[in-house]
Amino acid sequence: MITPRPENAVSRRRLLTGVAGGAAALAASSLLGGCGARGSSVTRHPDAGMWRQYQGSTLNFISENTAPTAAIAANTTPFTELTGININIVTLELSALVQKVALDLASGRSTYQLIYADPYQVLAPYARGLVDLRELMADPSLPQVPLGVGDFIPTHLEAAGKFVSPDEIYALPYDCPTLIWQYRRDLFEKYADQMSHDLGFDPMPSDASTWDQYYAIARWFNDNATDDVPYGTGHQAKQHDSLMNDFSNVLWAYGGDYFDNGGQVGGLGTVDPGPCRLDSPAAIEAANFYSRLLSIAHPASLSWDWDGLGNAFAAGQLAMCPNWHEYAASNESKLPGKVDYAPLPRGPVRSANMYGGTGLGISASTTADERRAAWLFAVWATSPEIELANLKSKAGGGTPTRTSVYQMPEVVAAEHRPSSMPNILTAAAVSKAWEPQNIGLRPKIPMWNECDTAIFTQLSRMLLGDSKPDEAMRDTTAQINRIVSRGWVASS
Amino acid sequence: MAPGILLLAPLSLLPFVFIVVMSLSRVHLLGGVRFDFAGLVNWARVFTDPDVGMAWVRSFGYFVLTVGLEMGFGLVFALCLWRLLRGRTTVLSLMLLPMFVAPVFVGLLGRFLTDSTFGLYAWVLRQLGVQTDVLGSQGSAFAAVVLMDVWEWTPLITMIALAGLSAVPESVREAASLDGAGGWQMLRYVVLPSISNVLLVALLIRSMDAIRYFDIIWVTTNGGPADATKIVPVRLYEVAFRFFDLGYAATIGLLMLAVSIVIARAFVRLLDQKGLAR
Repeated sequence: MITPRPENAVSRRRLLTGVAGGAAALAASSLLGGCGARGSSVTRHPDAGMWRQYQGSTLNFISENTAPTAAIAANTTPFTELTGININIVTLELSALVQKVALDLASGRSTYQLIYADPYQVLAPYARGLVDLRELMADPSLPQVPLGVGDFIPTHLEAAGKFVSPDEIYALPYDCPTLIWQYRRDLFEKYADQMSHDLGFDPMPSDASTWDQYYAIARWFNDNATDDVPYGTGHQAKQHDSLMNDFSNVLWAYGGDYFDNGGQVGGLGTVDPGPCRLDSPAAIEAANFYSRLLSIAHPASLSWDWDGLGNAFAAGQLAMCPNWHEYAASNESKLPGKVDYAPLPRGPVRSANMYGGTGLGISASTTADERRAAWLFAVWATSPEIELANLKSKAGGGTPTRTSVYQMPEVVAAEHRPSSMPNILTAAAVSKAWEPQNIGLRPKIPMWNECDTAIFTQLSRMLLGDSKPDEAMRDTTAQINRIVSRGWVASS
Repeated sequence: MAPGILLLAPLSLLPFVFIVVMSLSRVHLLGGVRFDFAGLVNWARVFTDPDVGMAWVRSFGYFVLTVGLEMGFGLVFALCLWRLLRGRTTVLSLMLLPMFVAPVFVGLLGRFLTDSTFGLYAWVLRQLGVQTDVLGSQGSAFAAVVLMDVWEWTPLITMIALAGLSAVPESVREAASLDGAGGWQMLRYVVLPSISNVLLVALLIRSMDAIRYFDIIWVTTNGGPADATKIVPVRLYEVAFRFFDLGYAATIGLLMLAVSIVIARAFVRLLDQKGLAR
């Protein structure tokens, strides 16, 4: 039996035609959207003055959830009042930020005009996706960097701002967390005499302290002071970027390095670092020591990244640990007056303090006006006044990257308790740590993320007894050589 | 069929073709996405990569443990609830709560509870004399992420199995009782065969989910310690979004898809044999 079709029914042919037409319209509109003028919300008003020439515009800044960004995000009013520009700040965990930045640069649409350019995960792999800021510095219609780029701490400018070329500047140093020795001064003072007597050296951390002494102190606390503190030392030894950071301090202190010419590879960076040198005798000795050190550390070290370690230290679980200096604010709020800071101990060759700073860059996919407007924010956010304001902020705190900020009388005064800027309590330690002979700079190469993963995975195996230190170093070397020989896959 | 294909094309077919092309290419990101034909390089690599191989071994162990435990516990809880005459709805509602928590929050909760500084479970274990950090050693970390998944998804199996149990005819059970069937015999020869089809569907749903398990591991262990919890989806994420080796990531993804299809086909064939696939 044939069922009669209702009058208003849609025939198969009409349905197909409609769907195809709709799909074509959708495709056409998306193509036009893609090819047409990108929706820029930046408009120039040439007569409005240097700082206000982009008033009414909106910029997007993508950043890791770090202290200075928290401080700026908590109060963007001064920037908007100065420039008339609205700034949207997106804060993310670093790996999520790297994904978004990579995809944004690939799309060529510059959703984010301002980029928190981690030197190792953003700058090195995507340097060509960032603007060489010299073109904006040379523009007389734009404000200049206050006190010039020479005011930035030289090692920061090189590590966070440049890639390969010593002339091009891709980012202005924006923050500078650095691994330093954090210790419970109250406990060290309480047991100073007893420790000196038992260990045969002055246990108070100083420039002359060594990693062997660090180990001996940690062991002493484990054996003699568990009523006050459960463990002598703790580490950020989770299978994570943090483990590579923690180990690298020891590696460099013992004279090892990831590649030949480590200062150059870590400072300006390179696209071809040459053969990996983690199988050198010095590196293997460092791995042996690190393995021994972790065997007496708090057992939870193997599941802590920097946050876990910071929380444990602030909770009174540890007498000392190497951690980023920006944790000083948290230490001071939870253990007021009880924590002090020093550069990390020396090994047979030097003291090495891992630098984890980042620069503020501008996407090269931006239009000319967008990058000029973004420049206003970059100059403002890295100016001495704002770095000082960040230091005072209750929302974040700061890690200034400018020499002039550390010389301001109120900052100098805050280096001692009572201090309204707790991060500055670390000033003496970090200024030592940033000296060229003490700074620790991991390789700045485009394929660093994959090398980093190989390093912390092999180290994690070593710490769990799956491999011996020499095996771990040789396996890592082989893996890194394979990764480097493949080259940076995502480059253009 | 044509409208269906037209709708399916942008959602599934085009991305699939795109992924296949990616797996045969070296993918460049900067300055716009660009593919350079690389032949079978990625495919040759995926079958010789020891890291991916080990990730498959761990995935298999994880799959068997999570799905096995969830089916076992789910069935036991469903039988208990089936026997419960008063308050069944309330108990079931409480039991279902974990299912409504996003996996990433389950991971955060698990990490917090096992944190050796603040964690309740870590404290309980210390009182019992266990000093090891739960997420700090291979065996316990693997067990922890398995148990977190089991905690979250056992209620789903319980709910599905309970629905099946509620449909077992009273008359059949009465007849079995009159024939002298005891508790175990009733379960073995009457109840379980009656709900086997429902359990098979539950198994299919959980299996498809277990293959792409990611969130809890990423939040708790990051694949560690010593790669002990690095299953294939975690490795895939790393290759795609940490190393941005998108051609190789597409290859690993296609291999995961193939495995998923094989497992799904096996279940569908079983359902077909029981006359339930149509």
